[in-house]
Amino acid sequence: MAKEKDPFFVGWGKIPKDYKVFLISLTASIIAVFAILSYAISSTQSDPGDGALMGLTTAVGILQADPYPVLHVISSGRYQPGETIILSGGGKRGVVKRAAGFDGQVVRAAGVTMQRGDLNGMQLRSGKNGLRGDDTGADAFTVRVENLGRWRLTGEICDGKCLNGAMRPGRGLAHKACANLCLLGGVPPVFVSSAPVEGSEFLLMADANGKAVTEEILKFTATYVEIEGEVERRGELLIFKISPETIRLAQ
Amino acid sequence: MSVSYVPVQWNPNKWKYDAVLIALVVVYIIVFLRLGTPAADFTRPVDGAILRIRAFGSCAFLMLTVILAIGPLARLDKRFAPILYNRRHFGVMTTAVAFTHAMYVLGWYFAYAPIPRLEALLVSNTSFGQFLGFPIEALGIAALLILSVLAATSHDFWLSFLSAPVWKSLHLMIYPAYVFVVAHVALGYFQDAKSPVFALIFTGGALTVAGLHLASWFKERRFSPSTEKWVKACKPSEIPDKRAVIVTISQQERVAIFRTGNSFSAVSNTCAHQGGPLGEGKIVYGHVTCPWHGFSYKARNGCSPAPFTEKIPTYNMSLENGVLFIDPKANQPGTDVEPIIVEGVVHG
Ligand code: FES
Repeated sequence: MAKEKDPFFVGWGKIPKDYKVFLISLTASIIAVFAILSYAISSTQSDPGDGALMGLTTAVGILQADPYPVLHVISSGRYQPGETIILSGGGKRGVVKRAAGFDGQVVRAAGVTMQRGDLNGMQLRSGKNGLRGDDTGADAFTVRVENLGRWRLTGEICDGKCLNGAMRPGRGLAHKACANLCLLGGVPPVFVSSAPVEGSEFLLMADANGKAVTEEILKFTATYVEIEGEVERRGELLIFKISPETIRLAQ
Repeated sequence: MSVSYVPVQWNPNKWKYDAVLIALVVVYIIVFLRLGTPAADFTRPVDGAILRIRAFGSCAFLMLTVILAIGPLARLDKRFAPILYNRRHFGVMTTAVAFTHAMYVLGWYFAYAPIPRLEALLVSNTSFGQFLGFPIEALGIAALLILSVLAATSHDFWLSFLSAPVWKSLHLMIYPAYVFVVAHVALGYFQDAKSPVFALIFTGGALTVAGLHLASWFKERRFSPSTEKWVKACKPSEIPDKRAVIVTISQQERVAIFRTGNSFSAVSNTCAHQGGPLGEGKIVYGHVTCPWHGFSYKARNGCSPAPFTEKIPTYNMSLENGVLFIDPKANQPGTDVEPIIVEGVVHG
């Protein structure tokens, strides 16, 4: 009688009957709970946004090397004349070196297009296939530059390639190290403002002199920050010329 | 027990245990990737690699949470003991799942860069001085390293090689590992996930582990430590037949008084195997039997029956005015002590 009343399990022995029922239901419920939690976690993942790779294209345009290489389109099968495209290379690389010799010149760029909202990007093919001087005599124009004054913006510093659709999601704290690797590799940093500035929430970042600003911002990528600086519209792209000493974590 | 070491001493229970573990992981991953994710509200799909990073990562967190809940649960309700037995298999499986998560991270976030992956891991984020933006990878690596060491030393060979107390303290590193994992998630995905569901599950899991440990700690404090010379234990009738009562005699020392019919013996509460709570065990085939992995000892001298050689300390007892007292000075492991015989005792 004592045996039935006081069951005891020993690993090498037989599992007592009372335990068996308990264990079978426990096993079933643990698996069921795991399935439910799995569904709950996976079905409520945040939307990574609309950034995406959109296939190959070519564009002829005016290359601007500073702060980071961008192309102001003259003609393209995909882009409207006047549109501005942020340029990057394969993997976590920028095209700073390749673009340096072409500053202000008309070039032909080819690669994979990326798009997120009104942010245009292109991952150039390697070598001359991706970027070369254009000799077809396309009509260059003067890129319109407009100073929009001094702003204090809150938002997130991202790498302009992953954000643009090379990764989904391509922002946030889990992605911080990856964003830093992209920036270190020369990918242009893009500021995602929490409130649109003159209609756009994406701003290419530069230092106060309009030059590259990578080193100063690595610490602050992927977090919610507040930054002051001059905003300038160049072509269709906003440039945020920040004062790096004003960056602070926002609430 | 200490006979010879084979990779794992398989028995049917272990096979079933491992089958359940594999089923658990497979069900979790399939539901995550095939059922839950398609139901999520995405403008465009999340990258496959990132989905797998999330699936294996969250699975490892939940498994570790269950592992840490098993200990206190088994103390609060004995029926959980069979899950505790072979908990090491659970640990090894969790390490494998966590490792898979880490490999996907390395192959996605740290690949395609101009610098090699492992170097990228080191240089990409060095903001150790800040809270948000802290390199969560470092926390994950710390946890994974601990888990790997524990998995690698989980075999009984290491237990006897390192001695039970050293092995036991080494394996307490599971707690810092869990703290690292919680921080890894709290400063990473937790910040990115906008839905409160993940936040609830994550904090719920971590709080459950903390709460269960507190509850089992309270349960053990029923007998408070004493500084008297001989420690008052309990009336013989308070001990059920073939069971024990645990008496705390100092901060670290607990004694289990076992009863077999009308005979009473006191032994250390700590099993020589992995420090399991012998007092929660039972007299099986005439021997004190550990609830964790079934090592057994003779109650009167603390020796494992031949051919085994484990020994635990015994304690002297006396009966005064119908109450058992324990001499807090332990005898050398294996010392024979004449049991106290109490005639006519019934379980009250
Ligand atoms: S701790 Fe393993 S048998 Fe006691």
